[in-house]
Amino acid sequence: MMRNQLSGYGVNMLPIEKPHLELLRQWRNSDFVREQMVSGEIIDEQQQLNWFQNISERQDQQHFIIQYRADYIGAANLKSCDGKPVTEAITLEPGIYIGDERYRSNILAFAPSLVLLDYCFDYLKVNQVTAKVKSQNSAALSYNGKLGYAEVDKDREYTIIALERERYIQSTGTLKNLLSRQRK
Amino acid sequence: MNNQEKLFQAFASALNIELNQVSPELTYNTIAEWDSTAHMILIAEIEGVFDVMLDTDDIIDMSSVAKAQEILTRYEVQF
Repeated sequence: MMRNQLSGYGVNMLPIEKPHLELLRQWRNSDFVREQMVSGEIIDEQQQLNWFQNISERQDQQHFIIQYRADYIGAANLKSCDGKPVTEAITLEPGIYIGDERYRSNILAFAPSLVLLDYCFDYLKVNQVTAKVKSQNSAALSYNGKLGYAEVDKDREYTIIALERERYIQSTGTLKNLLSRQRK
Repeated sequence: MNNQEKLFQAFASALNIELNQVSPELTYNTIAEWDSTAHMILIAEIEGVFDVMLDTDDIIDMSSVAKAQEILTRYEVQF
């Protein structure tokens, strides 16, 4: 299925294609990314290919590689929470990681989330987005808090957070302005 | 106060830290006080102190005190 790229705040989000797979696999297998994942297993080339073939046929998920300037810096996805196609879902679950360590501790790390959330709220018109974050991952919880996410449930292992449009708009105005200025 | 002192003071004020905690090596996200919210306050503080308007690439690149000084030099701030 043909999907369009998303752009904004200095980054492009390109639909994942076969040539991206090896870089994605390297990121996915890094300690930093595996620690954030529900499954931390090492992925081999065949598993990666199987995953790509699976997501290519699915309507309830969209997967992107994040580009900044000439570099790929991370990956993002959107998953439907109700089994419907992403374009018809009422609630979506976005996921993002920055694979390029140069940009992990950088305000640029917010740009792909802003692109994805604008897409969710302004284009797809979802009511709410939600995420499941490891309760120990204080950096991710703090990051999502800056975007306006609020905790809705928590146990020792995972914290469920959710975000609605109005709260997102209120929380991100200044950040959006800084990342939308004139570029060289 | 020279421009380097002004820059250090801007960091101390925006990040709400002691002036002696500011050094050229101080880097984004390496102390709790320099998070994304503080970064936005910092950009506003630096723009006010030096009367400049930073573009987005420079806001992204401003990841340390040393880098801030390097960027401001391009805006004709002399150190």
